[in-house]
Amino acid sequence: MNQTYAVELDHVTRTYKRDDFDVRALDDVTLRIPERRFVAIMGPSGSGKTTLLNLITGIDHATSGRVRVGREEITRMKERDLAAWRARHIGLVFQFYNLIPVLTAFENVELPLLLTDLGKAERRSHVEAALKAVGLADRLTHYPRQLSGGQEQRVAIARAIVTDPTIVVADEPTGDLDAVSAEEILSLLSHLSRQFNKTIVMVTHDARAERVVDSTYRLDKGVLIGTDVPTAVAGGGR
Amino acid sequence: MKFTSLVFKNLFRSRRRTVLTVLSIAVSLFVFGALVSLPSVANQVLADTASSVRIACHTKMGIAYPLPEAYKLKIATTPHVVAVTPSNYYAAIYHDPTDQIPSIAADPDNVEVMWSDWGFSPGGVEAFKRSRTAALAAEGTMKHYHFHVGQQIQLRGTTYPVDVTLTIVGTIARGPAPSFMLFHRDYLEELGGRPGKVDNFWVRADNSRTVPQVIAALNAQFANSSAETQCDSEAAFVGGFIGRIRVFFTLAELFGLIVVLTIGFVAANTAAMSIRERRNEIAVMRSIGFAARVILLLLVAESVVTALAGGILGAGAAFTVLKVFAVSSGALGPFAAIHMPAAVLLETLAAAMLIGVLSAYVPARAASRLNIVDALRLVN
Repeated sequence: MNQTYAVELDHVTRTYKRDDFDVRALDDVTLRIPERRFVAIMGPSGSGKTTLLNLITGIDHATSGRVRVGREEITRMKERDLAAWRARHIGLVFQFYNLIPVLTAFENVELPLLLTDLGKAERRSHVEAALKAVGLADRLTHYPRQLSGGQEQRVAIARAIVTDPTIVVADEPTGDLDAVSAEEILSLLSHLSRQFNKTIVMVTHDARAERVVDSTYRLDKGVLIGTDVPTAVAGGGR
Repeated sequence: MKFTSLVFKNLFRSRRRTVLTVLSIAVSLFVFGALVSLPSVANQVLADTASSVRIACHTKMGIAYPLPEAYKLKIATTPHVVAVTPSNYYAAIYHDPTDQIPSIAADPDNVEVMWSDWGFSPGGVEAFKRSRTAALAAEGTMKHYHFHVGQQIQLRGTTYPVDVTLTIVGTIARGPAPSFMLFHRDYLEELGGRPGKVDNFWVRADNSRTVPQVIAALNAQFANSSAETQCDSEAAFVGGFIGRIRVFFTLAELFGLIVVLTIGFVAANTAAMSIRERRNEIAVMRSIGFAARVILLLLVAESVVTALAGGILGAGAAFTVLKVFAVSSGALGPFAAIHMPAAVLLETLAAAMLIGVLSAYVPARAASRLNIVDALRLVN
C-alpha cells in the first residue's frame, strides 16, 4: 500500500551566509512525515530545527534539495504563490505566541480568515468554533494583555487551526510557558491531532513532548540523526 | 471592507502619536490652504468685479496724481461712450482707527448706468440722487457696523483732511468689495474747497467690442496735455493692482508648498517609526499568509487615513477661519473677500492624500518585503 506523506524533504540543504562564513544549518536532510501524525522535531540549540520548520512553511528557501508539503512542491513556488499557499495549507504556532496586541482574541483568530472569501457570519462561526476547541469560548473579547501565557498560546493555536489547514506547525510552543501550562498545551495539541486528524509538526526542546507525539525526528548540527517511532504508530495504529 | 477594522485598530495603537500626527498635518494643511487661497481669490475678484464695458482712466503718472474734472465733458462726448462718472477715493474711519471703511466719492447722475451690476437696493439710487449727503453702503458694511437705512453717520477722512456726515439711503449687494460706501463727490469737493480734481474717471462704453476703440480715443484726446490719461479696461485696471502684489502670492504659494513638504518628511519619519516597531507583527502576518501587496496596502491605508483626517481638519479650519475673516474684516478692499475656493479645498485634500501615500510608501514597501525569518528572529 502506498504511504502518503504530509511533508517530504529530499536531500535538503540550507546554507546561510554569516559575514565571510557559510553556515550549514541543514545538511542533506531527507525525511518523510506521514499524514495525520503528531510529530516532534527535537535537538539541541543550533541543530537546525527551526530552519527545518521554516522550510516546511515556505518562509525560508532551501539552498538545494526538494520540499514537498501535501501535493505541492513548494521549493518551486514564487513568493506571491507561497503566501496564498500558506494561507490555505499552513497553521503556525510560535514560541512567543505572536498575537497582535491591539486585536482581541476573536480578532486575532479571525486574522487568517480575512484572506478567505468567507462572509462575516461564517468567519464568526469559524472563530467561535476554533476558540471553543482550545477552551477559550469565554475569552472572545479579551486582549492578549488580559490573558495568561497559556491562554495566549491557546489563542495562537486557535488562529493556526481556524482555516482548517493541511498541516499545523508549532515552533517551541511550550518554550515560554510554565510546567503546568506547557502540559496543557501539549495535551491540547495531542487532542487536536487525534480529534481532527491533523498533521502537526512541532519543534521542541521539551522532553515531555515525547510522551504525546507519534514520532520524533532528531537533528544535530543540521543532520537528521534518528527517528523514534513508537511501536503502535510504526505498526499503523494510533 | 473586511480590513477596515484592522486599519483603525492599528491607527489607535498609539493614540497620542496618531492624534499628534493628525494635528501636525492639520496645521500644515491649514497654512497651505490659507496661503494657496490668496492668489486664486485675487483671480476670482478680478473675474467677479471686472465689467467688460467699463473703462478706468487716471493720469499716466499714476493713480496718486489727479486729473482735472473738466475732462468729464470731453470724455462724455467721445463716440461710443454711454456714461462718465468721476470718482475720488476717500479712505475713512468710523469711530475707532480699526473701523476703516473704504469709500468712493462719485458723481451721482449716472451711477445706476455705470454700475448696473452692483445690485442697488430698490429706491436706493433715487434717494441717493436726491440728497447731497446721501450714501449707499455695501451690505457687508451694513452688517458689520449694524447700520440701517436712514441712519446718519460721520466718517473721518484719512486721505482727505475732512470729515463727512452721511445719511445711508440704500445698500449695494454686489460691489467690488464686501465693505465700502459710495457718496457724492460734489459734497467732498465742497468740503475740500473745490479743488476740481478727480482720481479716476469711470467710463462706460456702449458695448465690449468698442472698448479698445474708446480707450485709444481717450488716450489720444489727452495726449500731450498737462495731464495725459492712462485708460484701461476695468479688468486691466484691477489686474494692475493685483499684479503689483502678485509676487507675494507666488511667495505665499511657495511657502505653502514648503510647509506641505516639511510635514511630509515629518509624517514619513512617523510612519517609518511606527512600521519599524511592528516588524515582528508584519512578519507574523506574512507567515500566516498575508501577501506583501496586502501588507503594503494596509500600511499605506493607515497613513492615508491619518493624513486625510488631518487634511479634513486643516482644510475645514482654513475654510472657516477665512470665512470669519471675510465677514469681520472691512479694511482690505477686494481682498476682504478672501475665502477658500472649492478648487483649493480639493487641492488641500489631494495634498493630504499625497502626504499619506508618499510618507508611508517607502517604509511600508520595505516592511512588506522584509525577510520573514530575520524579522521573526530579531524580536524573538
